[in-house]
Amino acid sequence: MPYFTVFKMRLRMELQYRGAMIGGIVCQMFFGLILVALYRALYAGKPQSIPIESVATYVWLQQAFFRMMLASDSELVDKIKSGDIAYDMCRPVDMYGFYYARIMAQKLMGSLMRAVPMLIVAFLLPKGWGISLPASFLELISAIPALLLGLLCVCALENITVAFTMKTLDPRGIQGLLNLLMMTLSGNLFPLTLFPESWQKVITFLPYAQLLDAPIRFYTGEYLPNEAFRIYGIQAFWVVILIALGVYMWNANKKRMVVQGG
Amino acid sequence: MSYIEVNNLKKNFIVKKKHEKGKILREKEIVNALKEVSFSVDKGELVGYIGPNGAGKSTTVKILSGILTPDGGEVTVGGIVPWKERKRHVKNIGVVFGQRSQLWWDVPIIDSYSLLRDIYRIPQGDYESRLKELTSALLLEELMRTPLRLLSLGQRMRAELCGSLLHRPQLLFLDEPTIGLDAVSKLALRDFLKWENDEYGTTIMLTTHDMEDIEALCSRVMVLGHGKKLFDGKLQDLLERYDTVRNVKIKYDQTATNLRLPEGVNCNQTEDGIELSYNPAELPTSKLLALLQEAGNISELTLQPQNTDHMIAAMYKELDL
Repeated sequence: MPYFTVFKMRLRMELQYRGAMIGGIVCQMFFGLILVALYRALYAGKPQSIPIESVATYVWLQQAFFRMMLASDSELVDKIKSGDIAYDMCRPVDMYGFYYARIMAQKLMGSLMRAVPMLIVAFLLPKGWGISLPASFLELISAIPALLLGLLCVCALENITVAFTMKTLDPRGIQGLLNLLMMTLSGNLFPLTLFPESWQKVITFLPYAQLLDAPIRFYTGEYLPNEAFRIYGIQAFWVVILIALGVYMWNANKKRMVVQGG
Repeated sequence: MSYIEVNNLKKNFIVKKKHEKGKILREKEIVNALKEVSFSVDKGELVGYIGPNGAGKSTTVKILSGILTPDGGEVTVGGIVPWKERKRHVKNIGVVFGQRSQLWWDVPIIDSYSLLRDIYRIPQGDYESRLKELTSALLLEELMRTPLRLLSLGQRMRAELCGSLLHRPQLLFLDEPTIGLDAVSKLALRDFLKWENDEYGTTIMLTTHDMEDIEALCSRVMVLGHGKKLFDGKLQDLLERYDTVRNVKIKYDQTATNLRLPEGVNCNQTEDGIELSYNPAELPTSKLLALLQEAGNISELTLQPQNTDHMIAAMYKELDL
């Protein structure tokens, strides 16, 4: 299976970047501590309905899986810019699936390599600063499918960015815009649980909330296990929509594709 | 029907012009990269495809390899329309773009090859024997565990070529494969291509600016300019047509006394002797030599055929390319 092989190759490549991994962990630890300190200061003035332990857990899980959310495959973007993508177009594979597998490997391996050491450290931090144990064993179990569906969702989003890059040839504009949406609407910058109730009704339905917010809410017990299938349903709905949109964009690009130079 | 059939192939590109002062929208211009190009290639042929920069060579190759969709005309390769049945078509072809890379930058090249094996679904036994054959022909055995980024340009090009041939394509497109290579690598690459063509009857289409590539490899050459096909035939015929200037260097024992040359021959006296240039169509070489011999005792004489590059340049000039 070529899709599985490209997945494996990208996994191996990710393993080579250990320096980047250590840098990423230090950076995310720093951000995690700053954010928790900030929320603790806010809580000291005016406690919210959500307990501070739950907010700290939310922050740490977001930071641990940061690589899943905001990291693009620079080699892929370079391929589009330089025109090396021409080679991938002369392969007997489905281009969307080929890149999807590649993106997934990077996001999965990149985030796992960072998440495991970071979560260990976060568990060692004092209560109210670090991460708390899951609400229950059943909650932890129901968070796992939600995380996988979130991964499928984020890879589909990333592939849409790649498709945009094929149009504009420079990823910065669209990436900047989409990253901003991602940071705010996925709960990376500010836990979605702290938004007003009425806002949350809308935000939790948007695609960005399906990525990490949904699994974290299972972990912290915001979502109950008996709601699981409703939540998975919303996630799966977005997976289908985003993949369909991505495939459509790729096919449209293929028709108007120009490989410049040489 | 031939293996490759191209009829009235057309391709336009829309080019956005530079921003002009005082205008918000950029003007667009349509460039006709290919205007009605037709040709056919039989199985096992080794065809050179030449033309000045921007003639439309790469565009043709990209259409034939299924990457671009043309704006008009018909193309079939082995009965398949490349851009309509891309996946079925590309299984049978191999492509080397001299300025691009298909192998992974950070991993050993053998890993890139295993990925290609899976992409083309090559059976393991077949893959191993083919890989062995290619690596020994292309002198890659020592380099298999080296990441691509550590290879030199020549090594990289050989590695790329190996990658493009693993799945035994029936048709190979080479887009400037010898660009930037040293003499040894160039010769090795040419020998290899000849061997591949002889051994397996692989049809090869080669675009290049290096006339030596064409001389060494291709019995047939096509010239493209301004999006049109200008010549299609034997390289020898093409050269004869533009073989208009030849040079002779001559030295006499004593000063030549009565050297009388007809008009149209340029004569240049230097310290080393006399340098002449003439058009063999106007003045046959035998006649010139007779005239030279009459003039005195010749101590040294060299006849230089025109450099191929000069002939091609003369042709481009004449055709206003």
